[in-house]
Amino acid sequence: MRFIFKIRYQQDIALFRHDGQRFWYGLLAIALLLAPLGLDTFYLGELALVCIYAIAGIGLMLLVGYTGLVSLGHAAFLAIGAYAHAILMTNGVPFPVSLILASLVCAVIGAIIGLPAMRMTGIYLAIATLAFAFIVEHAIAHMEPLTGGFRGMPVPRPILFGLDLGAAVPFYFVCLFILIACLFGALNLLRSPTGRAMISIRDSEISAQSIGIDLVRTKSVAFAISAGFTGLAGGLFAHDFGYLSPDTFTILTSIQLLLMVVVGGLGSLHGVVFGAIFVVLLPQCIALVRDWLPPTVGQLPGLEPGLFGLVLMLFLIYEPLGIYGRWRKIRDYFEAFPLYRKATHKRQRSYLRTERVK
Amino acid sequence: MNAAIFSARSLNLSFGGVHAVRDVSFDVERGEVFSIIGPNGAGKTTVLNLISRLYDVEGDGRLMFEGSDMTRVSASEVARRGIARTFQNTELFEHETVLKNLLIGRHVHRRTGLLRELFFTRSVARQELAFRQAAEDIIDLLDLQGYRDQVVASLPYGIRKMVEVARALCIEPKLLLLDEPSSGLNPEETEDVEFWIEDINEELGATIIMVEHDMNLVSRASNRVMAMADGAVLAVGQSSDIQNHPDVLRAYLGD
Repeated sequence: MRFIFKIRYQQDIALFRHDGQRFWYGLLAIALLLAPLGLDTFYLGELALVCIYAIAGIGLMLLVGYTGLVSLGHAAFLAIGAYAHAILMTNGVPFPVSLILASLVCAVIGAIIGLPAMRMTGIYLAIATLAFAFIVEHAIAHMEPLTGGFRGMPVPRPILFGLDLGAAVPFYFVCLFILIACLFGALNLLRSPTGRAMISIRDSEISAQSIGIDLVRTKSVAFAISAGFTGLAGGLFAHDFGYLSPDTFTILTSIQLLLMVVVGGLGSLHGVVFGAIFVVLLPQCIALVRDWLPPTVGQLPGLEPGLFGLVLMLFLIYEPLGIYGRWRKIRDYFEAFPLYRKATHKRQRSYLRTERVK
Repeated sequence: MNAAIFSARSLNLSFGGVHAVRDVSFDVERGEVFSIIGPNGAGKTTVLNLISRLYDVEGDGRLMFEGSDMTRVSASEVARRGIARTFQNTELFEHETVLKNLLIGRHVHRRTGLLRELFFTRSVARQELAFRQAAEDIIDLLDLQGYRDQVVASLPYGIRKMVEVARALCIEPKLLLLDEPSSGLNPEETEDVEFWIEDINEELGATIIMVEHDMNLVSRASNRVMAMADGAVLAVGQSSDIQNHPDVLRAYLGD
């Protein structure tokens, strides 16, 4: 077992709590940096896709897992990010600048969406964001001079200083770098007042208010941050697809993102990465299994979404804390070995909460 | 006693046909412990909710704090002006540790913006350490050291009530509203409540408005008592006078 001897307050705000963490994350970083040596182009592409999904997942996790606001329309922010990026690049804005601008555009739109969304919670908010996603889809289809309408628009190759960042290896490094930057940004937010304000809204709006947290402002900021991260992922997706059309990001994409954060584990950034790996890996596994199954089953049209739904349901029933929750249990088991008690992670009955005054 | 730190003037509130609060006016002097008592449904908690702006005051009722009008400010602005509160059945951030709950309580003292927090600059780190120091002072005051890193959802009820008070104190309030601090506590814990009310009042210099049923606690801890029934004020005065006031006796015991 590990006991951390705390002698300074700095230890509690450090990103890495002990040498064990430094060692394992360092090892992971080295493995990821060396990945292009060992993996072929296809798997490197899949790894880049994991990074992109994880970036979008960070955005959604901050909103759903930390602020407690459910969005069914995050594909819209992916779409806005992707189109804004593609349009800016077509007009000659260099790749990194365009990516950041696309993210900012999304953040501003997110903040504007956040204002009316403030009046809604739970299922109503989910429906409102869903409606927003449809509006964006239609707007993209009809803003033909800008977006090419139903014909779609090609995405220029990301070339920086004569280097083609769209090729497999550089693109992987770009995605990895942005993911790591986003993770650090999210971690920083979560250990400072903004992140805590978001968490307070998730757990109790009434006492967040009485502690001096402005609900409208905080929710709006949460939406903006979330949309900003997601827009960044959208820009990277644009390069991954190479060609954008209004049906690139649909409601299924939104649901896939939501599935990712729930299966990964709500309320943890580890969960985002686990979820992203899961979402990218599952279609591959299905493709592998498909060949083994009898054609009548293997070629069923709705097999993939059906399996996604099934997995989501199983997780909600048996492991509401997602892959990360399971991972923590396994880790605690080994850390406390042989003293681990089954009841360690048992959920406690919670007490009555104040009758809602609003 | 000094001048009034807080005054309420003709507060009225009705829910449909029920007049929960009728023409309630009172003054709270700086530095005192002011208790509100009354039978169930008298409107005590509703008065607290009016003060913390969770409900809107009807008509021309007014709330004055430190000489300025706060009748129409937002609920979060109330905390920024220095009024903190606790809830009857506790409203904590359940999935977080005690320490995190207290740090959230420091929110009104935040001086950093989003961008600096995104990069966790030195000023943000400095602020975090200062917040921690302030939270630790409160932890010391209320003897919560052992619970610092525990998740609130796993704590017993008595401790949760303390954590909620601690969180309210992190605002560094000038006026603290306590909604039934002793409800659900055993006699021993209730005695502790008396001590920490005294500590908060004397060491931190906070004025306290407390809604409470336990008359022993009320008479020992408070300077003045206001009795309410059916949404209206019956009497204000020393606790012994209030306990023998004919209207108060009638409200509790009937004719």
